[in-house]
Amino acid sequence: MDKLSSQRLPPLKRNWWLKHRFFKLYMLREATVLPLVFFTLCLLAGMVALLQGAESWQGWIAFMRSPIVFVLNLLALAASLFHAATFFVLFPRVMPLRIAGHSLPDNMIVAGQWAGVVAVALLFFWLLGRA
Amino acid sequence: MNTQQISTKQVSVKRYLPDSSAEPFWQQYELPVDDSTSLLDALNHIKEQLDSTLSYRWSCRMAICGSCGVMVNGIPKLGCKTFLRDYDGDIRIEPLSHFPVQRDLVMDMEIFLEHLAAVKPYLIDDNPVKSYDPQAPETYQQSPEQLARYKQFANCINCGLCYSACPQFGLNPEFLGPAALTLAHRYNLDSRDHGKKQRMAELNRHEGVWSCTFVGFCSKVCPKHVDPAAAVNQGKVEAAKHTLIALFKG
Repeated sequence: MDKLSSQRLPPLKRNWWLKHRFFKLYMLREATVLPLVFFTLCLLAGMVALLQGAESWQGWIAFMRSPIVFVLNLLALAASLFHAATFFVLFPRVMPLRIAGHSLPDNMIVAGQWAGVVAVALLFFWLLGRA
Repeated sequence: MNTQQISTKQVSVKRYLPDSSAEPFWQQYELPVDDSTSLLDALNHIKEQLDSTLSYRWSCRMAICGSCGVMVNGIPKLGCKTFLRDYDGDIRIEPLSHFPVQRDLVMDMEIFLEHLAAVKPYLIDDNPVKSYDPQAPETYQQSPEQLARYKQFANCINCGLCYSACPQFGLNPEFLGPAALTLAHRYNLDSRDHGKKQRMAELNRHEGVWSCTFVGFCSKVCPKHVDPAAAVNQGKVEAAKHTLIALFKG
């Protein structure tokens, strides 16, 4: 590579992802980790509170019920659902499933994953209802 | 060309003439177009009728050779597969992103070719048939099912559009990139091939499959619907398996 041509390769700017809708959606997908980190820290704090005793646990419940924390966790739920939606679509491309020599159609794999989400959610609500 | 001339359109081309100007500049051309005018037709018209100093690559005119890739309004496209009828307003043509530019729309593909060679994109056979033996089983037999496993990934024409679409390659040119990793995967999936072990060393490292973050734009711009993002991420599954197996084997 001669000197002139190497000069004509400007490095990618930090705002490269602002140039196209596709890249913005990608960055949104990656950014879903931020509210999820918050939710995970909340859960961790809850476990520590549980270990510390009843008073601490009641304090944690009050913290979780405060409007800002509630809204942030609602955002985390929305983020995880959005991430799941993008991930489920990618799954059949990364792990194409073949049964008896025939590949399963993509939309069937995507539907199967959502069915799994619904099943886990129903189980969760059932357990919550018994408690 | 232009048997049924309908209108004229303006095309802006990013010129770079290192002999006369250190910096690239935009140049506008006004062209006659009809419904069948491809971007490659337009560039040929400029070269033949308006400005013979314009440099660009092309050969087959039918999305086989992969040499006429350019950025059209910031999106990597094949000139021969892009039609001016699909564009309103200014059409801005630039050389493919993330490659050093040599002159006008001609960029230096050397790094891509190096990455391609690194993954050994050809059949590797430990015991090739050296001489004709009528008693030997026919070599290289393959069933339609075995073909179906890799066929989609074999359609790559090495045009480099996926490299221009990939921000990870833009950030780090050492990343092997979509097409090279796809071709590595294509040969790893081939029942006639025995070179997976050799390729895994290249694939299973940071600049191999692990630099991919599944942005997925490579698959959007691929003119042959190869879906390189799928191949690269299937490669991650294979690389993970490879690491695990190596771990247990010690």
